[in-house]
Amino acid sequence: MRSPILAAAFILLAACAPPGQSNQSGAGATGPIKIANVNAQSGQLSSLGQWEHKGVKLAVDEANKAGGVNGRQIQLDLFDSQGDPTVGTNLARKIAGEGYVAMLGTAESAVTLAMAPILKDAKIPNITSGQSPKLAELKSPFLFLNAPTSVTFDETLAKYLVDEKGHKKIALISNNGAYGSGEHDAFLAALKTRNLTPPADEVVTPDQKDFNANLAKIREKDPEVLFIGAEEVQSGLIAKQARELGLKAVFAGGAPMGTDVYATTAGLKNAEGSIVSSPYLSNDASEAIKAFAAKYKAAYNEEARMHVAKAYDGASILIEALKQTNGEGGQKLADAIRGVKRAGLLGDYDYDANGVGIHTTKIGLVKDGKVVPEAAS
Amino acid sequence: MQVFLQTLIGGVTFGAVYALVAMGFSIVYRTMGLVNFAHGSVVMIGAYAASTFYLASKLPFAVAIVVAIAVTGLIGLVIERFLRPLENKDFTLMLIGTIGFGAVLEAGAVLVWGATGHAVPSPVATEPIDLAGVRIPTYNVLVIAVAAAATGLLALFLQRTKRGAAMQAVAMDHQAATAVGIHVGRSNAMAFAIGAGLAALAGSLVGPMLYVNPTMGGTLGIKGFAAAMLGGFGSMPGAIVGGLAFGLLDSFAAGNFQEYSELVTFLVFAAVVMIRPTGIFGEATVNRA
Repeated sequence: MRSPILAAAFILLAACAPPGQSNQSGAGATGPIKIANVNAQSGQLSSLGQWEHKGVKLAVDEANKAGGVNGRQIQLDLFDSQGDPTVGTNLARKIAGEGYVAMLGTAESAVTLAMAPILKDAKIPNITSGQSPKLAELKSPFLFLNAPTSVTFDETLAKYLVDEKGHKKIALISNNGAYGSGEHDAFLAALKTRNLTPPADEVVTPDQKDFNANLAKIREKDPEVLFIGAEEVQSGLIAKQARELGLKAVFAGGAPMGTDVYATTAGLKNAEGSIVSSPYLSNDASEAIKAFAAKYKAAYNEEARMHVAKAYDGASILIEALKQTNGEGGQKLADAIRGVKRAGLLGDYDYDANGVGIHTTKIGLVKDGKVVPEAAS
Repeated sequence: MQVFLQTLIGGVTFGAVYALVAMGFSIVYRTMGLVNFAHGSVVMIGAYAASTFYLASKLPFAVAIVVAIAVTGLIGLVIERFLRPLENKDFTLMLIGTIGFGAVLEAGAVLVWGATGHAVPSPVATEPIDLAGVRIPTYNVLVIAVAAAATGLLALFLQRTKRGAAMQAVAMDHQAATAVGIHVGRSNAMAFAIGAGLAALAGSLVGPMLYVNPTMGGTLGIKGFAAAMLGGFGSMPGAIVGGLAFGLLDSFAAGNFQEYSELVTFLVFAAVVMIRPTGIFGEATVNRA
């Protein structure tokens, strides 16, 4: 009677242990290393999720072809978060219970924020593409950002707009989603440190489609610059409706405004001259980026972009860390990730105590629907 | 004043689209007593079909819309054919069936067009009309005019044609209509096809104003449904008034309540429906089950 109980207790304890401590994924294991890739594959933000997955898959396929992690193959499993935090939390529990050593994704801050506590408890390192300052504020030792937070994006932007170009009348329009509110707060703080108050500060909802009322109020203030804090599609719709209303202000914002989704939604003419703060401006920025873009084009027959590069960097860092831990997860893997210093596609990775890997962005301008570095424009 | 008028323009344009979606909901409801929960997804399929024929097949935008209406009309007929065996038997299953069709259409769109969606350039290249500082995009004028024309045509069909009269008769009393020789199944099929055609028209028109993607039907469907409720479910004038009212409410709430706009919109909606549960043009509800 006693031994079945002991056996059951042992199985239960093994199931509850962090993945890094389990026999299957530990240093002595020989099977494939299970990595979860969570991203929106359906829903409004699926374009980001699909780019992210392709970037991750490219890095993992390369690593597997080159012999995997010290001889062990990486098993990459894709989960659809639908861009929904509730779906995300369910997936986090699933990942925690099924022996995954790490998670890559998601592209959405709101989903990452919802998943982070569960992954922290399970000691599963997560390298995310979210950039909300709230992610860094969590100070989770298991959460890593593969791009700067909005604070860096917007400080660079404010420095360029105010300190270099001398703009004083900068209006804001942002949404109150996790990304948009992060952008709003970070840019407003950057303006405040320069003693500037925006003449208009309009907040919209992430699902809003008609911005006539908000933009008409902004137009009355005749700003020189309109800061847009929203995702790709909504930024494009705002830019399009703003120009239709006759707003002459220059558009400025973060990485979403450097995408073709923004440019085509706004219309190339309307997007022309938009100012973008981003760590990844173009596929021609360096020899390493050119080689990466060519590799991506050969694999997927489409142009590489920031979200692809971001995910590729994150996956490459994880693979490097896994090689150091010999496939082991848990605290050991988190420490190894923190120790990785990598000259990535988005910049030089050097994780700080808050899990932020990159600390600078560059300024680019939209020309014919593509971003060019500001200096080259 | 300029802000007020500009807000009005945006509200009326989106209101016209909501009205088309609401009319699609209403025509099926008044004929069959059924809320077609697949309607939002049909709007999305209409947007995809029109934009694909316009962009990939290079058809003129107006022709692309007509083709999209034909495609979704066919989808409407298929949905009705699948639901027909349940007519007068299991109302709940019919409702679930429409929800299922909505999910199938969304998944189908991902399979055919991919999950990422695409932007549709405006088919009208002219500059916005400037009326003393109030800017009216020419495409918005086109949207309002087409929606008004479609509404007029639908009213003529329902009031002046034999088939339209037959549909009205089925809506009033389907047993009596059957007794006088009206084919109820055919009438229902026509209601579904017209409803789907209206959805396609709404989707086609809104495509160049938004970004066409598999989930766009969600927001438009909910707002169109709310517009139909606000106007009085099943009432065609109600759908028009409800659509415009909802568009304006949405637009003015966005300007005045910022991030709380959606909350305010639906609070006002809830208050109106509580005071007048049958909506502004409240008619006796239809229930076949």
